[in-house]
Amino acid sequence: MATDNNNYKRIIEILRNSRPELIRPEEIEDEVIKRIIRQKRPGETVTALIASLFGWVYVSWVRRSLIGAVTLLVAIFIYQQASILKQVNNLSKKTVIMGNGQLPASSSEFDKKLTLYKISAGFYSDREIQISEKRLEELLISYQDLQGKYKDLVRIIEENPELKKYIENKLNEKRNTKPDL
Amino acid sequence: MIEKELIDECRKGDLHNFRKVVEKTSPMVFSIAFRMLGDKDVARDVVQDTMVTIWQKMNRIKTPDSFKSWVCRIAVNKCYDQLRKKKHLPEQRYDDQTWELISNHISEDGITELESQENARILNFLTDKLSNKQKAVFILSELEEMPADEIVRVTGMKRSSVKANLHYARKNIQTLLQKYL
Repeated sequence: MATDNNNYKRIIEILRNSRPELIRPEEIEDEVIKRIIRQKRPGETVTALIASLFGWVYVSWVRRSLIGAVTLLVAIFIYQQASILKQVNNLSKKTVIMGNGQLPASSSEFDKKLTLYKISAGFYSDREIQISEKRLEELLISYQDLQGKYKDLVRIIEENPELKKYIENKLNEKRNTKPDL
Repeated sequence: MIEKELIDECRKGDLHNFRKVVEKTSPMVFSIAFRMLGDKDVARDVVQDTMVTIWQKMNRIKTPDSFKSWVCRIAVNKCYDQLRKKKHLPEQRYDDQTWELISNHISEDGITELESQENARILNFLTDKLSNKQKAVFILSELEEMPADEIVRVTGMKRSSVKANLHYARKNIQTLLQKYL
């Protein structure tokens, strides 16, 4: 038993002393580096880009500040571009194609027409509207006329409480009798 | 021992410093791989694979103190993969010459150092009947002289399991020596 134990100890001692030696370790080093370069680590592209852009700055905090500033500027630029694009899209949706393709000379007249368009935009927001200049002017005149009449009507009703009460009752009756949809 | 600064530089993607890490760690990895696999060429492949994995997972290492265990763990796992592949190959047969070789070395006086081929032949012969876990624990404990706590970290086994595997490995080899010598 003691001999067996001695044999075991002896063979272990021999094996321990015969530590495997790595021959030509530089070959392994080269091969490892080659393999790493071939299969780049995830995120390495970003690191390489940063290194190529800011590699000339040797002070680390300056480099970090520069990267931060550039990132911020790029973010602001992207935000601005996005908001401008959104506004342009909104405006293009609101374009009125005139019948003769020309805008009226007077800007105040154009403003009025634009106001009219804004009123109608709620109804026709998804469609392209084609209105001739003559029709637009007619529409504007009737709208102004209608607005004047509406103001007169409101004034007359306000001045006459009985009429006001009568109209209110009629409106309530109409609301009550309206069938549910 | 790998310095913290070296690990930090490697994390930043510095291949020049990683080459230093390969230079320092590859002899240890080769020793474990050669002893576990008994094949010089396969052990060199394991070293390369281990180094590439270290590079890829460098960010996972928390402290330089645990670096050695972490590297050994990767190496041992790579060896397990190779041993699984080896299982599918036909079993190697050893003639009386291997026993003669062992017998001669045991009876020699003084410190004997085996040649690479002899070392592989004896190791393969003695550990052929061991399970992969027993082989790993035996090599790490008896040949690499690693403390039990480190073997626990490297193999991921419980301390009791490490002890049991080592006991069975020793017993198996002792029985083999008893039978033939």
